[in-house]
Amino acid sequence: MNDALIITVIVLAGVAVAIIVATTLIRFLRLRRERRQARLAAGPRRELLAFAAEPDASGADRLAAMPQRQWQHIEPAALALLGKLRGDGYQALAQVFDRRGIAEEAIRQTRSRSPVVRARHAELLGALRHGPAAPDLARLLRDRDVEVVVVAIRALGHVGDPRAAPALLDTLAGDRSVPAHLVAQSLTQLGPDAVPALMDALAAPAATERLTAVQAMGMLGDPRPSRAVAGVIAADPDLAVRVAAARTLGELGARVGLEPLVAALAPRSPPDLRAAAATALGALGAPTAAPALGALLNDPIYQVAHAAARALRRLGGPGLNELTGAAAGPSEWTAAHAREALAMAALANPARTARPSPLEV
Amino acid sequence: METLLSLLRAADYAFLLYFAAINTSYLVLLVLAAQEFGRHARRAPFAGADDMLRSPLTFPISIIVPAYNEGPGIVAAVQAIAALEYPTFEIIVVDDGSTDDTVDRLRDQFQLVATPRVVPSAVAYTGQVRATYVSATNPDGLLVVSKANGGKADALNVGINMARFPLLCMVDADSVMDPRALLAVAKPFVDDPVRVAATGGVVRIANGCRVVAGRVVEVGMPRQWLPRIQVIEYLRAFLMGRAGWSRLGGLVVISGAFGLFRRDLVVLAGGMASDCIGEDAELVVRLHRRLSATGGDYRVVFVSEPVSWSEAPSTLAALGKQRRRWHRGLAEILVRHRRMIGNPRYGRIGLLALPWYLQFELLAPVVELLAVVLVPAGLYAGAVNVDFAWRFLLVAYGYAFVISLAALLLEELSFHRYPRWRDLGLGFVAAVIENLGYRQLMAWWQLRGIWDAVRGGRHDWGRHQRQGFHGDQSTAGPPVAVGQPAPRGVSAAAPKETENRLHQIDTLGSSSRSTDGGIG
Repeated sequence: MNDALIITVIVLAGVAVAIIVATTLIRFLRLRRERRQARLAAGPRRELLAFAAEPDASGADRLAAMPQRQWQHIEPAALALLGKLRGDGYQALAQVFDRRGIAEEAIRQTRSRSPVVRARHAELLGALRHGPAAPDLARLLRDRDVEVVVVAIRALGHVGDPRAAPALLDTLAGDRSVPAHLVAQSLTQLGPDAVPALMDALAAPAATERLTAVQAMGMLGDPRPSRAVAGVIAADPDLAVRVAAARTLGELGARVGLEPLVAALAPRSPPDLRAAAATALGALGAPTAAPALGALLNDPIYQVAHAAARALRRLGGPGLNELTGAAAGPSEWTAAHAREALAMAALANPARTARPSPLEV
Repeated sequence: METLLSLLRAADYAFLLYFAAINTSYLVLLVLAAQEFGRHARRAPFAGADDMLRSPLTFPISIIVPAYNEGPGIVAAVQAIAALEYPTFEIIVVDDGSTDDTVDRLRDQFQLVATPRVVPSAVAYTGQVRATYVSATNPDGLLVVSKANGGKADALNVGINMARFPLLCMVDADSVMDPRALLAVAKPFVDDPVRVAATGGVVRIANGCRVVAGRVVEVGMPRQWLPRIQVIEYLRAFLMGRAGWSRLGGLVVISGAFGLFRRDLVVLAGGMASDCIGEDAELVVRLHRRLSATGGDYRVVFVSEPVSWSEAPSTLAALGKQRRRWHRGLAEILVRHRRMIGNPRYGRIGLLALPWYLQFELLAPVVELLAVVLVPAGLYAGAVNVDFAWRFLLVAYGYAFVISLAALLLEELSFHRYPRWRDLGLGFVAAVIENLGYRQLMAWWQLRGIWDAVRGGRHDWGRHQRQGFHGDQSTAGPPVAVGQPAPRGVSAAAPKETENRLHQIDTLGSSSRSTDGGIG
């Protein structure tokens, strides 16, 4: 036993020395590599920054013709710049990438066996907003690795080709758990031309698909689908979709939403829908909704009463009158919500709320 | 007599096996952590942090800062949190009946105005809410709640009630977060919103770092040996250990200094337990218990970078108090959730993580101190010879030393946060010194923590006297006028204690051993 222990001690001592030497060596090599990279990148980096500050043809030519051994040191910085630049500066730098054949190579790499390589190049294609890559990115939406799918979703949003909308929505139809909010964000980036595909998705069998379409419509702010969304509030079998539709109607600001939203305030509606409808009515700014929202202040569910109070605050005069009346009412629950909203309104607009309301006279 | 000698001999061999097992388990966790860090590094180029930052659909976060007598640092803490990079978040400071000027300082700096608020009762709390304040310049961004003293968990519960957003981030007022820390801990929720229940960020030691305007701008080893040893301990236990457990799907500790939770699940679990010292770890274990029991497919994820920085105790008295608390908390959690230990119903948590914490965390100080008594006793009685005793000690502590060195190696390979050569040298020395008194003191404090748990008694906030960070500078500008007086806050109980969780669920779920006291 003692011999075994002494051998163990010797082995441990050897391992300890090896780790100390390895740690020191790793640091030495890393620092040397970093210094060397910084030295090699200094010139090309100056070139890149000058081009980003003032894009011109000669600068683009120099970057496009830069030897690969120099370019590789500044490519990460160039990519980071792409994310920060807008307008002509972005276009000029993206063209440099294109002229270097980086986008074409990235498209080829989307077929790599490694999911990390596929995802990295999908990310690159998104950063370049490379239109011709849309079909390849759409193909990655069916990739066996869900991380690749997520990157492809985001990349398609950056590319902005509205023809990708159905494929993006289809990712939500399968058994795989794909983050719906990322799909909604990408659909929004496709712009108003994606609205027809979003309206078609309102009839999709998967609730997540319908919900995502409704969310994207709200963020797009295009009023065309208002009537269709208004119909969803009462008709859709899935509560989450109905709630999302209520929110979207508030975001779209269309008068057609008033009636279904007021109807959704009824006590028979689920609490979530009541709260979402109240919030949407506040966003719509319809003074005629004030009495219905005032009645909701007495709702036993905190979120509903709170949403009603906030909505009344947003309605201005008629809403503030409802709140002032409720603040003086017999129900402490109702009065407390009203007082909270009035205090917040006073913060937002002291002059307006200081004016006596008819109820106070 | 012979039987006694045989027992002593057997005990000594058992101790040897125990120390070998404990350090081997750490070695396994280190290997798993290395895999996790490699995976993290390979995926960083396409993590999509900038997209998260720009998207209006990135889940908004309610940051809850419980505070008790944090007057000297509270303004800088709120300013630093407010400057974090994240699309939408609110800050809720819950003052738990401070006897200093915590609220006054906040009021002066942020133009707080007292506004009445209805306090929902989604989770139970005991300390009465006295007043609520919002910032006159950003009413939806900063809420300060002043309540009667009820303890940290009670303060957190009030914050949970007041939170408007689907994700809750609980941070200590004396923590310093990296600018992109929120983005990093929220990332798993973005990628897997249906399954991720909670994420924990890594906490590193801020002593020795230069902190300017609530940001760590230069990382360095502490100037004192006690915190230096804790740096090694944190690397091994909090960074590598938890990353390893996360890889195994067995993470049961998320530091109270930096964790992110789904609010609907926290409310379903009943909020923070005010009768347990380690409320942060207890919540995670309770989430595991509830989610496993309902057959839910869920994940609790550890995020290794970026980080939150926290000041470590620099005196033996403060360190001892902290470790007693931690170990008492661990004991209370394991007793409370004893039915989960070894229970296959709770999967890897029941079969792997909790038994490990019981054997190699809770009982480690008992075994270590028994060894300190029984090995010399065996030597004195002639049950073991001197050669065995010194070899035993060299193997037990040598193995632990190698594990600490391996943690330093992994740090160098992955994050290499300590840039100076001197820091690396100090790290090697600290890994040696750790075994010469520190571990034994730790075991003594932990044993007292177990005794504290057995005796029960009052829970306190468990704060240690802050020394302040090197170069610490508040960004506080000149004091501004306090807002207009307004009515006192309202705490109206709902007629029906109902919490509507559907909104959060809809919002988030719409898509398809050693001495490493572990609950800090």
